[in-house]
Amino acid sequence: MIRRARRGSRLGVGESRATVIALGIAAWVIGMLWIFPVAWTVLTSFKTEQDASAQTLHQGLTVARYSDVSHSTEGTLSLATAFTNSLIIVLVSTTIVMLLALPAAYALAIRRVPKWRDVLFFFISTKFLPIVASIFPIYVYAQKWNLIGTRTILIVLYIAINLPLAIWMTRSFFSEVPRELIEAAEIDGTSLFNQLRSVILPIAAPGIAATALLCLIFAWNEYFYAIQLNFAGASTMPQWVIGNVSTRGNFLAKLSAASIIACLPVILAGWAAQKRMIRGLSMGALK
Amino acid sequence: MEYDAATRLYPGTPKPAVNELNLSIPDGELLVLVGPSGSGKSTALRMLAGLEPLDEGRILIGGNDVSTVRPRDRDIAMVFQSYALYPNLNVAANMGFALKQQGVPRGERDQRVREVAKLLDLEPYLDRKPRNLSGGQRQRVAMGRAIVRHPQVYLMDEPLSNLDAKLRVQTRTELVELQQRLAVTTVYVTHDQVEAMTMGDRVAVLRDGNLQQCDAPSALYHTPANLFVAGFIGSPAMNLLRASAGGPLLVGGADIGIADDLGGERATVGFRPEAVVIGDGPIAARIRIVEDLGSEVFVHLVIDHDGEERRIVAKAEAPFAGSAGDNVHLGLHGTIHLFDNADLRRTSVQL
Amino acid sequence: MLPALVFTIVITQVPFLVSIYYSFTNLKDRTQSLIPEPTRFVGIDNYKAIFNDAFFRQAMWTSVKMTVLAVVLSLIFGTLFAMLLDRTFFGQGIVRTLLITPFLLMPVVAALIWKQQMFSSLFGILDKVLAFVGLNSVAWISDHPLGSIVTVLVWQWTPFMMLIMLAGLQSQPSDILEAAGVDGATPLGIFRQLTLPHLRRYLELGALLGSIYIVQAFDLIDVMTGGGPGSTNVPYFVYQESIGGGFRYGSASAYAIVVVIFSIVIATFSLRVLSGLLKDEERA
Repeated sequence: MIRRARRGSRLGVGESRATVIALGIAAWVIGMLWIFPVAWTVLTSFKTEQDASAQTLHQGLTVARYSDVSHSTEGTLSLATAFTNSLIIVLVSTTIVMLLALPAAYALAIRRVPKWRDVLFFFISTKFLPIVASIFPIYVYAQKWNLIGTRTILIVLYIAINLPLAIWMTRSFFSEVPRELIEAAEIDGTSLFNQLRSVILPIAAPGIAATALLCLIFAWNEYFYAIQLNFAGASTMPQWVIGNVSTRGNFLAKLSAASIIACLPVILAGWAAQKRMIRGLSMGALK
Repeated sequence: MEYDAATRLYPGTPKPAVNELNLSIPDGELLVLVGPSGSGKSTALRMLAGLEPLDEGRILIGGNDVSTVRPRDRDIAMVFQSYALYPNLNVAANMGFALKQQGVPRGERDQRVREVAKLLDLEPYLDRKPRNLSGGQRQRVAMGRAIVRHPQVYLMDEPLSNLDAKLRVQTRTELVELQQRLAVTTVYVTHDQVEAMTMGDRVAVLRDGNLQQCDAPSALYHTPANLFVAGFIGSPAMNLLRASAGGPLLVGGADIGIADDLGGERATVGFRPEAVVIGDGPIAARIRIVEDLGSEVFVHLVIDHDGEERRIVAKAEAPFAGSAGDNVHLGLHGTIHLFDNADLRRTSVQL
Repeated sequence: MLPALVFTIVITQVPFLVSIYYSFTNLKDRTQSLIPEPTRFVGIDNYKAIFNDAFFRQAMWTSVKMTVLAVVLSLIFGTLFAMLLDRTFFGQGIVRTLLITPFLLMPVVAALIWKQQMFSSLFGILDKVLAFVGLNSVAWISDHPLGSIVTVLVWQWTPFMMLIMLAGLQSQPSDILEAAGVDGATPLGIFRQLTLPHLRRYLELGALLGSIYIVQAFDLIDVMTGGGPGSTNVPYFVYQESIGGGFRYGSASAYAIVVVIFSIVIATFSLRVLSGLLKDEERA
């Protein structure tokens, strides 16, 4: 009885196929151009040093550079050490940041502490001080407490850096949770902790994931504190990358390989989480 | 306006949302598209608006094929279910928006907006933004936005469904008066059959993308084309019972005196509550609930039909003496409809 | 909940207060290298000196230029890209993935990539392209330090803005856009009259967050230009004053405090102007 209709169209009424395709192509072109420096670096990382300097491809592709940088030389920072350090520092600091930010956000968004706007502004204002200015006092105290060259000092500092952002974002995600749900849970006698767990967190989860991801990115990529406060023992990935810049000989390909290795974890994390980040941001990073 | 075998199939779905709709709407008519959710009525409306592309068939406005014409070139105005008011503009700017797009000069624009505002009692609110208006006020702004354009066609997608009950009834009559005064073709979508019956010059019943029947309300009520229309139109719904394919027609075990068996294809018998008379009659029943609405009384009963307990509704005169649990007798006087096993109504008998 | 709040306050305050302390007490020369002087309290001498310091003024000016250019350009690009990406087309997910990658890179890596691969006159690609077309090579970094830095900043931060604007575009209710279409608005008209006002809050958010981070830009400058005229912004200047060679921690702290005060003033002012950001809570 029902005659099969043609496969449904995706075009809007009056939309020309040509425009749609043209815009799609434009997007692709822009994407390719934008990624070009990175793509070129990836390519370079597979070349020999000679090719790299001359920007040619005569000697073919090889993964030798990757193994070059992965091997540790006496006295210099090794990949394994730097990677472990970075991993520990980043994971610990981000976890603590989120643990601190969630209750704070709860206090600001749901319990609505009086003057919460001022508190929020205060948090953000701590980021106005250039970190370069505080480095000296921090150095002095760190030395006093024997924290130079340890992971702890970086963990503490990264918490300080990321906490304002985490609180700001988490608060706005929490404020997206409909009041009625929380009130209903309250009436049902749910404890605070369970409210958080069963009602608030599931709704705010994408936003929280986005926040955690941002904190991870910033902590992993942080350079200044790391370089000022660390010796070889607790150095992190950014330092390791810089360590590959040498003043003699050709190093471009090795540097490219090192850069790619250093950035890869964050890149992969970012790629995996991008949909969630957009959803999280659109959920209300606004308010 | 006309739908000519119009079809819309969403990519990835097996069945069309609107399937070969054929409908002709003369000038000045208020046509209501009604049906349950998923029936395709909103999709059909949007096809008229140009918000949904056609996969097959055509849409004609004023005799012109507008199937591929963009919404803004079709000279239609639409009232959305959510009103879709522009949040950053005030009421006056909202209503004047379309005129501004057309390049109407400011003076004329303001004047037309003010006229319509007066018509809809919106003058005190011209400066307000939508977020500072009540639901009823927003609805009127949405209407005003459409009216001020003097379009060829009005399209309305469930504009009253977000209003409270009393406001809804009141606005309903105002809407019909307005449409008659303006005499502009209007296509109105609703899921509420009461709205459909009271408002439309003609009503088109849709189900799963297919048109069931398009007729004046009274025709739909008294001569439904099929089982679905019969059960959908009218409140409380028509009583529908299984009917034996041959032999005398039995209701609740009693022979009600109808011999027609539709050539052996008889499958269902239907009769409206007003055809059921409580008093003496051949059918034994027991009262479940009495709904006393003041001006009329609906009595919900149970009968033993075909070996099962079936519920039917009877309409009685106020005051009604009887209560839950009473055993009574029913007779049928009025129109009895017979449906075949393809669910089509074949004949109606007056008892 | 509140104890957690207080605790976090304590943690974040340590760096800040210490600096204030130093700017007043630890005075001029706390040097490790040159003339050792006992530290004394010097009052507001440091602050007085700032007013006369032309270099500092220049650094401030550079900071302003750098931040404004980077934020505005990345907002513009971000919005354009978000608009492109907002429609369905083949492989849009991949394009989006490609576009956000620069943001995920370490600033030092980004700086190195651009310094070595793109801008370098010895190795760089851009110069090779220019040569290919027949033009002379340009000493990008030396001749245009600010431009180079802004380029890399925009390259890295456009994805961030794009994500925010994408969120903004997708949060627009579609029926309003449809209504505008039915009312006769052209796509351009819809954008100008409806979308842009809606995006305003997102633009402000992007500008705020972006400025906070971009104004602090340090890694890029250190790696790409090592300071020098035209590319020294305030953080780098302060760095040079303190552990970067000047070792004048007292005055360096004073500079920093001045900057903070400035920032707080500007931020307070702009937050009052930015209607959408915090006030909407009242209405809700």
